[in-house]
Amino acid sequence: MPLRITLTDYGVGNLYSIRRSLENCGAKVDVIRDMSGLKDAECIVFPGVGAFDKTMEKLLPHRDEVRDMLLSGTPALGICIGMQILYEGSAEGSSPGLGVFKGKVVPLEGEVIPHMGWNQVVSGDPLMSGVADNNFYFAHSFRGSPEEDITIGTTEYEGTTIPTFFRKANTYGTQFHPEKSSDSGMTVLRNFIRFAESVL
Amino acid sequence: MLTKRIIPCLDVKDGKVVKGVNFKGLRDVGYPPEMAADYERQGADEITFLDITASLETRQTVLGIVSETASNLFVPLTVGGGIRSVADMRDALNAGADKVSVNSAAVKDPSIISECAESFGSQCVVVAIDGKRVGDHWEVFTHGGTKPTGIDAVEWAKRAEDLGAGEILLTSMDTDGVKTGYDIPLTEAVADEVSIPVIASGGCGSMEHIYDVFARTGASAALAASIFHYNECTVAEVKQYLRDRGIVVR
Repeated sequence: MPLRITLTDYGVGNLYSIRRSLENCGAKVDVIRDMSGLKDAECIVFPGVGAFDKTMEKLLPHRDEVRDMLLSGTPALGICIGMQILYEGSAEGSSPGLGVFKGKVVPLEGEVIPHMGWNQVVSGDPLMSGVADNNFYFAHSFRGSPEEDITIGTTEYEGTTIPTFFRKANTYGTQFHPEKSSDSGMTVLRNFIRFAESVL
Repeated sequence: MLTKRIIPCLDVKDGKVVKGVNFKGLRDVGYPPEMAADYERQGADEITFLDITASLETRQTVLGIVSETASNLFVPLTVGGGIRSVADMRDALNAGADKVSVNSAAVKDPSIISECAESFGSQCVVVAIDGKRVGDHWEVFTHGGTKPTGIDAVEWAKRAEDLGAGEILLTSMDTDGVKTGYDIPLTEAVADEVSIPVIASGGCGSMEHIYDVFARTGASAALAASIFHYNECTVAEVKQYLRDRGIVVR
């Protein structure tokens, strides 16, 4: 039986690439717009489109329930903004985040913002196993700033090293977009699916 | 560190990729989904799909080809041409675009930039600017380079950034299609003015031109069409050439 992934559709953007990528990697994907359906999910992917408040809007009524699920071991992956909402809050908006990761989302600093394009992720995490080229696609103006030891990968941008890959319990977060990162991204998604299956 | 991006551009007319000189004299060179997938295999960092027919009647057909292109592609896809409203942008995103570029419509009504940025996020709003040298500055032209606007291209780029654009796709009409190299002064002027990434476009005829635009300007990406379409070189060859000369690429 393929892994069933519940993909959250916040109604603000394109889920095309992530859905297609996960299916391509062997998962069965259920897209949900009514977030009350998350309580039945065996594995959740929070895609990376939109702005912080807009992304949290539909999740807010289910915030405590979802956080408890993730902290107690439901496998999950948050991508870009879908990773940022795992934090307690963001400088980008005023809504609280899910609060799975301790810390806040802060503005990215640099001469050219957004950080857009392919950059290296330095990580020894098993999700990177088999990745031949550690360049991944980024498109963001904010970044996670954890207040606990959850960073499993970093990236250098304009001379500063920033955390871009996180894990707590069975919840992974990527600032980069594996679904737009060609072969390297597909390897990470396949590894994530294998990981999720192993913890179920 | 962040790598410089190489972006093959598919100018699409009536469902086919075409290539012309100075926006005129078009020739068919291939089918978008196949060409995009091939460029990804060669190491393209993104693909840009510009619908140059952009008439209302063909809209749905074009969106169908966008979907087909996206369904086989695992690098970012930018779609542009004929985007007139937030609804058009939503349609393109729903068809599988990761970013959408707006050109004429943004000049006509700049609020489309902020509306799209608020609805979908700045990261997917690309403002395309066609600039042409007029006297001592560059003027913005719209409608496929046919209509002068009287607007200064550098100032317009800055305004687009202030309105929420995530990226500038900058095409020089003076160099486009003539393969004598990117417009270095224009690219430099815009890249110096804005703090969002600038994609240089127009004039690429060799690997050396791509090296030049990266070595001499702050461009984050280089867009090229004919050198790839006519198999003059592959994306992989361009990257090796750049790597050998100290430009960091994927």
